[in-house]
Amino acid sequence: MNDYIIETKNLTKQYGLQKSVSSLNIHVKRGRIYGLLGRNGAGKTTTMKMLLGLAAPTSGEVIIWGKPLKGNEKKLLPRIGSLIEAPGFYPNLTATENLRIFATLRGMADKHAVKDALDLVGLPYRDKKLFSQYSLGMKQRLAIALAVMHDPELLILDEPINGLDPIGIAEIRSFIRQLCDESGKTVLISSHILSEIALLADDIGIIDCGALLEEESFAELEQKSNRHIRFTVSDTAQAAKILESCFREKAFSIQDSHNLLLYSLDAPTGRIVTAFVENGLEVSQVHTCVESLEDYFKRVTGGEGIA
Amino acid sequence: MLNIIKCEFGKLKRRKFLLLVVLSAFLFPVPLTVLMTRSLTSGEYDSKAEIFNEYFQFVMGYGIELLLPCVIGVFAAMLFFMERDSGTSKNLRAIPVTSTQMVLTKITVLFICGAVFSLTSALVSILCGEITAQVSGIPYRLLFAVEMGIFITAGTLPLIVLVVFFSRNYVFSVLMCVFYSVLSTIAESSFGALPKLLCWLMPIPLTTLWAAGDLTDHGFLNGASALEYLIPSTAQTAAILAATALISTILIDYMYKKRRNE
Repeated sequence: MNDYIIETKNLTKQYGLQKSVSSLNIHVKRGRIYGLLGRNGAGKTTTMKMLLGLAAPTSGEVIIWGKPLKGNEKKLLPRIGSLIEAPGFYPNLTATENLRIFATLRGMADKHAVKDALDLVGLPYRDKKLFSQYSLGMKQRLAIALAVMHDPELLILDEPINGLDPIGIAEIRSFIRQLCDESGKTVLISSHILSEIALLADDIGIIDCGALLEEESFAELEQKSNRHIRFTVSDTAQAAKILESCFREKAFSIQDSHNLLLYSLDAPTGRIVTAFVENGLEVSQVHTCVESLEDYFKRVTGGEGIA
Repeated sequence: MLNIIKCEFGKLKRRKFLLLVVLSAFLFPVPLTVLMTRSLTSGEYDSKAEIFNEYFQFVMGYGIELLLPCVIGVFAAMLFFMERDSGTSKNLRAIPVTSTQMVLTKITVLFICGAVFSLTSALVSILCGEITAQVSGIPYRLLFAVEMGIFITAGTLPLIVLVVFFSRNYVFSVLMCVFYSVLSTIAESSFGALPKLLCWLMPIPLTTLWAAGDLTDHGFLNGASALEYLIPSTAQTAAILAATALISTILIDYMYKKRRNE
């Protein structure tokens, strides 16, 4: 038996002729934060809706805790906390009243659950302010409170930092990290903000035009990302000969007559520069270049940046 | 299910429309009391009890049969559009609360409100009647009011099918409710000319016929004899309205489910 909390098999959603999600196979491991990264309209929300049974897949299957979601909703959904799209609450009620409604519907016996959830996200308990009077950031916090109120084992959060101020973003980030590290929760989080995913996720899935392009852990990503040392020299042909003969390096490429890229970051850069100079080459620049997540995203999606 | 019903009422907190509904229960009893007081002095009736019987019939006829379908229609629009307007549908489905549970809850709330509205009108009428006239058969009248509230609500469900189907704004729902009430009133004024089957197939006129028969049976109404051949029994009325309610509920559930999945 595998250790996947969420697994999708060729999950597809088609609206008319347009495929919103196409043959998606994602694998979310237990106790990890999985970041689903993609541009606006890439299919992140549709995927999450299908994972929660809010949208019926055109084809394919959602498996949660080893069981197909279809037909097991009553067993599986109560173990999941979710935030999908904009926070949805009754505008004529206060935050406490709203959460009480959902707590009652969930049949929660813990009388302190509402207060605890509000405390967790920094919202006041029994405040008289109605939901309709809340700022976007407060609404988002309330939605997060709703997602965690019943102490779910799995959290599915669609763009949870939308509308939050920088301090709020940091708080929620640390809160989600804590949920995963200390309480062993599994979190699936979607975002179009690269830095957020980079700071929070253990595993990453890159989705573009409804298709999953890459899925790997951040450790694997670091290994796969394009890292090199760029040498700007007077003659790249001669520099190449020196690398091959003196250092037995073959993992390099010549960009033009002055630029050479060496792909081994472990290479003795100082000795290489000395060898170049001793052989009459003029070395004007040496840079260590590590590909950022954005560069990686661009490379994988074969297009522009995410924003 | 009880929890969902409780929550459905919780969601209505601070809704001004609810206050209007409560006030509208007083809309007919209060002015009719003034008229009743005038009738007392004019000597049109033989006894105070006779005046109250007439007055009670008016309140039930206009206050409930005319007003309650409008109240239920607008109230249903509010209940059925609530999740759509507030975006809470996804939160409910993630619990999970199914569409059928939601529809059944909302319809139950409508029935409770219908019965409470009708009972409130009857209570206000009895209170006003006690002050100015003579009231008899209070337990029967209260039971009658509850039955009327339930029957009228069941009879209004076909209208709710349209409200959910068109899924437009509240103004559109109000217009449909008014149209439905007026149509029913026109049918009621043409009882003699309409075939029995048609009279029985129209829920509100059917309830009017049942009410006339029931009040006559209990000695609180004279003059329904001309329509005696049209009067249904309580069981017949309940069966027809139950079938109407069941078909309407199935249709509402189907449409609500479809809307949620869109």
